[in-house]
Amino acid sequence: MIILEVTNPASSVSLVLFFGTIGMLALTIGLIVFIIFHQRKVIRYQLKLQRLEQDQQKLLLNASIRLQEEERQRIAADLHDDAGPLLATARLYLNENLVNLDKSTQLQSIYNAKQIIDDTIQLIRNISHSLMPPTLKNFGLESAVNDLFQKISGSGSMNASSRFHDYKERLQSENELIIFRVIQELVNNILKHSNASFIHLTQNTSGNKFFIRLHHDGRGITQNDFNKLNKSTVGLGLKNIQSRLKVLHGKIFFEKDMSQTYYKVTIELVKEEDNKLVEQD
Amino acid sequence: MIIALLALFAEILPIVFYLVFLKRNRGEGLWVIFLYCVISILTEVINELLNGIISGPAIFASFNIVQFTLFSLFYYLSVKNKKLKIITVIGAVIFYIAAISNFTSTKLDFFSVSLASVLAIPYCILLLYEEIKDPNTMFVYNNKKFWVIIAFLLYFAATLFIDVYYSTLSPEQRSNYWAINNFFEILKNILFCIAFIMKKNAQRSYLTDNLDPDI
Repeated sequence: MIILEVTNPASSVSLVLFFGTIGMLALTIGLIVFIIFHQRKVIRYQLKLQRLEQDQQKLLLNASIRLQEEERQRIAADLHDDAGPLLATARLYLNENLVNLDKSTQLQSIYNAKQIIDDTIQLIRNISHSLMPPTLKNFGLESAVNDLFQKISGSGSMNASSRFHDYKERLQSENELIIFRVIQELVNNILKHSNASFIHLTQNTSGNKFFIRLHHDGRGITQNDFNKLNKSTVGLGLKNIQSRLKVLHGKIFFEKDMSQTYYKVTIELVKEEDNKLVEQD
Repeated sequence: MIIALLALFAEILPIVFYLVFLKRNRGEGLWVIFLYCVISILTEVINELLNGIISGPAIFASFNIVQFTLFSLFYYLSVKNKKLKIITVIGAVIFYIAAISNFTSTKLDFFSVSLASVLAIPYCILLLYEEIKDPNTMFVYNNKKFWVIIAFLLYFAATLFIDVYYSTLSPEQRSNYWAINNFFEILKNILFCIAFIMKKNAQRSYLTDNLDPDI
């Protein structure tokens, strides 16, 4: 009926009505279809992102598990290969036959056993220190980092210095340990791979942010390299850094200095009270 | 005639489905739509019973006011954005001014009907926009509100031009108007039925969903 009216040239109102109504309907249906398809597309994209993030998390988790296992193996090896034989030797000196020996041999054996036990104590102390540096525990991050850098400088192969500009209040001990481990890992990487002649660490704060910056003049990596390594199966240490910083809701940036002479690594953390808020969120 | 009968039958269906699936339809402001359907069918009955006692335009204008009030109420209950809630109230006030000033008219008041459509179409689009923006909405069409809004949007979009031009139409064209109106009434009621029949949407956030339980 409507079509018949449309064909009548006199009926301009009907034409407007017909095309107006059809147009409105087409627009509405188009809008509905667009909404449905657009939403599906957005959801697919979000799911893809989520999967990527989960893959990344899996990689980090695997890296931290592997690192933990390596650490355990190292401690087990230290105890088995060093402490075990030392104690076995001490036991040999103090065997049952000792009472049948003459006085001077007895004294010599006891002295040797004491020496070996002292060595074992020192060995166990070293293992314990590698697990939790006493300087870090007793005097905080600043002292522990200074201590670490003094040891590196003391070796003579590299000039290492650190400066804490705003570290009057210590962070929580577990957070300090995480940051220290990250710094240790970064310094180890610089020592192993960069061929640098100096490392300089600075700490400062800005607002609610806590920054640690490391400069070195060797071969370094940029953020792109870091992201690539993080997604690949290699670069265990970097993944470990990433997973440690994730605990603190921290970020890390690798870049080449403006002068193109130095490499710079920046660790950005949210201060503790704000960090708690982030965790609550 | 057949389409008018079908339209009348279609008006009963959402009421039946709402009552049958009452548990599924609690919350989300669907009782407003149920009330809308009841009033819609009551208007038809009153129109038949009081034909000649009360003038047709008065019944038409009354139904129009009630229809837009219920639509606005449903919208007000569904929308989360405070600004949109205020806009709904302002829109309703503008509509009431227009509808009341034309209430005593001896002709069918298609100005306020057109105004209702003009207000309702952007409302529906804004509500759809709000729904797809909501991260808790996994799929927008799993939501009962979506089908109600689509029903209104299609109905108002389809009848907008006809409402605007109604006064310029010839009597023959006007009879066609009612056929088109009835057709979209049927469509609207079918979409209401879908909203009432579908299971309550267990809102699930795709952002917080853990796809891999091992992690």
